[in-house]
Amino acid sequence: MKTKTDIQQGTLALMVLKTLDALGPLHGYGIARRIEQISGDELALNQGTLYPLLLRLEQEGAIESDWGPSENNRRARFYRLTRAGRKQLQTELRDWQQTAEIIARFLSINAETRS
Amino acid sequence: MRLLKRLLARLRNLASHQSDDQRFLEELEEHLSRQTEENLRSGMTPAEARRQAVLKFGAVEAIREQYHAEKSLPFVESVVQDVRYSLRILRKSWGFTSLAAISLALAIGANTTIFSVMKRLLLDRLDVPHAEQLRLLHWHGDKNTAVSNMWGISDNVREGIGAASFSYPAYEQLRRDNRMLEDLFAFKDVGRMNATIDGNAQILQGELVSGNFFDQLQVQPQQGRPILDDDDRIGAPIVALISAELWQRAFGSSLAVLGRTIKVNMVPVTIVGVVPSEFTGAKSVQSSPDIFLPLSSQPLVEPRGKNGSLLGASSPQVWWLNIMGRAKAGVADITAQAALDTSLSAVVRSTLRLDANTTIPRLDVQDGSRGLFLSKQMFAKPLEVLMAVVGLVLLLACSNIASLLFARSMARQREVALRLALGAGRARVLRGVLTESLLLSALGGALGVALAFAGCRALPTLLANPWETSQFTMPLDWTVLAFTASLTLLSGLLFGTVPAWIATRSDAGACLKATGPGSTRQRKGFSGKMIVTFQVMLSTLLVAGALLFVGTLFQLAHVNPGFRTDHLVLFAIQQPESRYPAPKDLQLHHQIEERLRALPGVQNVTLSEVGYISDSMENSNFLPEGETPNPDKDQSAWNNAVGSNFFHTMGIPILAGRDFNESDTASSPKVGILSDSLARKAFPGQNPIGKRFLAHFHPREGTPGDLIEVVGICGDTRYWSLKQDAIGMFYQPYLQTPNLDFGATYEVRTSLSPASIAPSLRKAVQSIDPDLPLQEIRTQQEQIDASMQQERIIAALTASFGVLALVLASVGVYGVMAYSVAQRTSEIGIRMALGALPREVLAMVLREAAWIALVGITCGIGATLLSTHLVTSLLYGLHSNNPVILATSALLLALVGLVASWVPARRAAAVEPMQALRHE
Repeated sequence: MKTKTDIQQGTLALMVLKTLDALGPLHGYGIARRIEQISGDELALNQGTLYPLLLRLEQEGAIESDWGPSENNRRARFYRLTRAGRKQLQTELRDWQQTAEIIARFLSINAETRS
Repeated sequence: MRLLKRLLARLRNLASHQSDDQRFLEELEEHLSRQTEENLRSGMTPAEARRQAVLKFGAVEAIREQYHAEKSLPFVESVVQDVRYSLRILRKSWGFTSLAAISLALAIGANTTIFSVMKRLLLDRLDVPHAEQLRLLHWHGDKNTAVSNMWGISDNVREGIGAASFSYPAYEQLRRDNRMLEDLFAFKDVGRMNATIDGNAQILQGELVSGNFFDQLQVQPQQGRPILDDDDRIGAPIVALISAELWQRAFGSSLAVLGRTIKVNMVPVTIVGVVPSEFTGAKSVQSSPDIFLPLSSQPLVEPRGKNGSLLGASSPQVWWLNIMGRAKAGVADITAQAALDTSLSAVVRSTLRLDANTTIPRLDVQDGSRGLFLSKQMFAKPLEVLMAVVGLVLLLACSNIASLLFARSMARQREVALRLALGAGRARVLRGVLTESLLLSALGGALGVALAFAGCRALPTLLANPWETSQFTMPLDWTVLAFTASLTLLSGLLFGTVPAWIATRSDAGACLKATGPGSTRQRKGFSGKMIVTFQVMLSTLLVAGALLFVGTLFQLAHVNPGFRTDHLVLFAIQQPESRYPAPKDLQLHHQIEERLRALPGVQNVTLSEVGYISDSMENSNFLPEGETPNPDKDQSAWNNAVGSNFFHTMGIPILAGRDFNESDTASSPKVGILSDSLARKAFPGQNPIGKRFLAHFHPREGTPGDLIEVVGICGDTRYWSLKQDAIGMFYQPYLQTPNLDFGATYEVRTSLSPASIAPSLRKAVQSIDPDLPLQEIRTQQEQIDASMQQERIIAALTASFGVLALVLASVGVYGVMAYSVAQRTSEIGIRMALGALPREVLAMVLREAAWIALVGITCGIGATLLSTHLVTSLLYGLHSNNPVILATSALLLALVGLVASWVPARRAAAVEPMQALRHE
């Protein structure tokens, strides 16, 4: 059986922000599907956990939400990035890239010494 | 920043109670329907599509919780929840709540009050900078000591006498010679002075101080200037400093007081300053003099001795001045003492006439940080007893709270187990119990603080005489309050939470499976019973103690003082010596006596140098004619100078001979009346009438004494206190004594109340001298009651603590028995199903309670026997191991135990076997 990777704490927020940045205003289901698509179904994501996170980001002022009509004429709640959110995304992206680079360097050192 | 935003949003949500479960549910529904649609498109059946959508979403309830937690502050919310829940529980079991809260309140309140008083009387120091440096000079000597004439309070040291008072020459010499302490300063509390302020006669408490007094104490007046060396010089204009309290009372705190002239003992003095409000003089910490005057004013404002002056070298035999000095850094007290002792010996040798067997007093350097510290002699013992009692009550109350909470949380173990099984966190369960304990503690604590406030207000009133305004104030001590409060609250928290903690540790499943009482019942019941046994023990001790003090009061109230105490109004008149030098004072009192006798409503009137049962006495040497002075033999007797008609007015029987009468005047032969016991002692087997004795002789001072003829024998009376034994005493007509320089106490036999007769008495006295105030108007019974005040306070307090102890013990016994019966319901059911009779079940429960009571009472009696000998000095008329009192307290406790266990026992006997078995 194929094992799915658990999402690290904090990374989900980054994914949500990046999704909204890329696609513009989107409803919760849309965000969830997008994350699944991008990660190629390799993430063990309980879609429901997205909603407490959205609420948190909204309370932090990174995103805003409003009811609006969706494609099939039903009511859905749309989330969009605020200016503060965009700034937060940039900082977190930078942090993430730095962390990733450092980790990558460590892993390569490990490989060299073993060979 | 982000955190702050989140917190603010959450607080907003919490405050607005805005429910957006709605929003979550809508989004959830929208999400699920979209996923279902997508699943349908991929070819699932409708039912399967919905199921898969829900699975993919995750555990809805958990996410909803998370969502909710994200929204608000879960901690605050759950605390609010806990508080509400606890309040509901406390309200539901209001009996338990009120008992526990009252126990706490009493423990905190009573202890704070008694500890505060104790601290005030025994620990607090004078409110001056570096009070700990102050040293008080004191001397001690044996019974042949050179010091024979003292003005002030002496204390009994072992086989002799000691005092903190010195003669003026001694002060001058010590001050001159002193190198080991900082500059010595002197003061003298002269007590009441008659003052006239704006034409109003008032009584002020006065203190004479040396010129360096304020300088050495490092006290700056809050207004004006201190008394300086220049003021303390014979012939200097008399200046005075007044207390902040007098400044406020008599002058409305007006600055115009500086430079004002008032009359003190008819001498004009000028007010030059006001001392700080917290300054109480050097004598005591508890009460302050109203007025401070320079020592040099003594011959004018407070004349005493041969020519009125105690200053200079004029009266080296009168020892009256208190001397203090600050310790010098690096000089040990013992060094200072040795040096000053040498100076004292020198001055005694050079100023006093010494016989061959006269001894020189030795000087002691004592702690002066609490002034003369008279409160120690007066209150140390009773306060120690009260401290011990309230300490025991505190222990009892703590153990009561402990056992109440313990039994309660044991009973709630099943509830705890159930909550744990349902998934509640241990921390959460513990927090609930903690909240409950805290709430209870807060309730009891608040009540306790209120009680402490009331107690600290009430106690000084209890300590005061009904006829004197008390200067003694008793501020609530916050450190003491904090200490007792935290102690009690801590014990509540500890005993409330520990059992709960144990409960959460235990295996929830096992506890639920065990049928009600678990296999550990025996042990649990045991510790509950231990606490209750301990309570019964403490209660026995407290009740026995209370009975001892109540018994003492009862014995005192039934002492026959030897005279009629009813319908007797007393008052004192202290004539100023400057206006009435001897023998004018005798004529004045004779005039007053005659004037009062003629008043309507006065059945009889007399006066005496010393009032009765007022802790005052006079003593003289007493030599039956023909006997020679012998220092190894007690040749003294108590005496009193009285008016004619004294024995008739006081209702003291004349057993033989005659009363004093109008023919006994200053010029007639000196006569005396002996009390029965003195007559028997001095003239055994003889008829004393017509015999003569020598009294008031002081060969060293050149006083030959009076030869007095016995004209009558009277009944024995108590003199200064009801507690004393009947003593040998002789009486003289005051007209035949040299003077009444301490004034006189008038005894008026009347059927009127003091309030209704006082105006006419005052008018009669003021028709003779308008400046003479009537002091201390009271009845003889009030005087006697006041003398028993200490006993009454101790009896009242210990009795109320005793009752409290009984209540606490009965609550404890009831609690533990009720718990035990509840735990054993099924066992009792089985017994009854097997044929036990209700009466046997009743007996079984009572037997269990009886064991607790028996062990507790036995230990309590043991503790009583071990400890009550410590209070022997406070008892009167009964022995500390009085068997009746021990038996009574044992019986009382047994009764209380029986009554308290009766209700649970009846409940056990009424158990329906079938119901009890089904109850499982």
